[in-house]
Amino acid sequence: MQLHINTYGSYLHVKEKMFEIRVPQDGKMKPNHLAAHKIKTIIMATGTALSTDAVKLAIMHNVDIVFVEQYGDPIGRVWHSKLGSTTKIRKEQLAASMNEVGVKWIKYWIMNKLDNQLNFLKDLKKHRSQHHTFIDEKVERLQNLNISIQALEGTRVIEIADTLRGLEGTAGRLYFEALSYLLAKEYRFNGRSNRPAQDAFNAFLNYAYGMLYGKIERTLIIAGLDPYVGFLHRDDYNQLSFVYDFIEPYRIHAESVVFRLFSAKKVNQAHTNIITNGYSLNQEGKQLLVTAFNKYVEEDTIRYRGRNQTRSNALQMDAHTFANSLINPPQEEVL
Amino acid sequence: MIAWVMYDIQENKPRTKVAKLCKQAGLYRVQKSVFLGTLTAHEKDTLELQIEEEIDEDTDSVYIFPMSKKELRETVLIGQAFDKKLVTDEVRELFY
Repeated sequence: MQLHINTYGSYLHVKEKMFEIRVPQDGKMKPNHLAAHKIKTIIMATGTALSTDAVKLAIMHNVDIVFVEQYGDPIGRVWHSKLGSTTKIRKEQLAASMNEVGVKWIKYWIMNKLDNQLNFLKDLKKHRSQHHTFIDEKVERLQNLNISIQALEGTRVIEIADTLRGLEGTAGRLYFEALSYLLAKEYRFNGRSNRPAQDAFNAFLNYAYGMLYGKIERTLIIAGLDPYVGFLHRDDYNQLSFVYDFIEPYRIHAESVVFRLFSAKKVNQAHTNIITNGYSLNQEGKQLLVTAFNKYVEEDTIRYRGRNQTRSNALQMDAHTFANSLINPPQEEVL
Repeated sequence: MIAWVMYDIQENKPRTKVAKLCKQAGLYRVQKSVFLGTLTAHEKDTLELQIEEEIDEDTDSVYIFPMSKKELRETVLIGQAFDKKLVTDEVRELFY
């Protein structure tokens, strides 16, 4: 299970080969014990403490410790320093980031993302007959953007990067405009915003993306890929980050969960705090989102490659497929 | 499998030790000398061997009862009840 440590002043350490979390309560520290092998991930917010022995116990049991800041963005993680797989994958990944293999994949991921966006809109259309024309128009424009992406040609990602980012950005704007329009009036939002979010919807979405980001990073490491050798995206520190490339087709998971929480009116004012210049998710909001997100990703199953899988398993399979395609290029075109 | 561990142990030291072993195996304490939780077959064997080493087989008794999910659903709980979802590993996240 996942352990979320959010309470200010909590302390995670080891007692009798188990994790002990001490949480301040009524002026005292209340201890809770958990067997190490039951834990998969420990997520620690800022303002909490950790002992080196806890880090050691986590490493021994393949538990990853993720540090997140207030809005849910992961700022770092503790994971054993072994590669997930062979170094050959990383070498090939580096080569792919600079040749036409990279172009092929980045187009594939982004087209996949757009497909997910327009399929989600089509799905929402089914129960919203009054908005048919509005949704149809957005869907058509997304389809056109997808055709434009399909048509892009280059031998290196850098040659098509600017155009690709532009098309992707336009798609994102259209898509979020549509999502906002389909929400009840009090929940509507004005485009994407973060650090801080300008509205509750963005506060939820940012936190969900943060969780997804952490999950993708772990998935990539397990598949033997380097999370920092990106094809298209740069992160805040001006490094190429592969996580942002690979995450694209899966952003829909975060979006569906958040949208459904809002459209089912599960969210209310008790879930967010108003902070300077915006909104932030509070403890109650985090619990609502994390529980819904984990159920969707780790518990509910989808039909995938002929089997019933959790979305999380499907994601790991995709990462392995990609890694394998780098070291064993497919004989015939699969993309 | 879902397993119940119950014990009656005379001496304090082995009793404390057995309780600790149960917790380390990932079982939850439902009463003073009763533990419950999900174990793999391998974990059950390990726990069995560990407990065997601690107790005095002439005076003490320890039971490890496996139970099916179906039976757990039919279990009657009166008073201070344990969290069924927690002991069946259905809880995916804990918040502190």
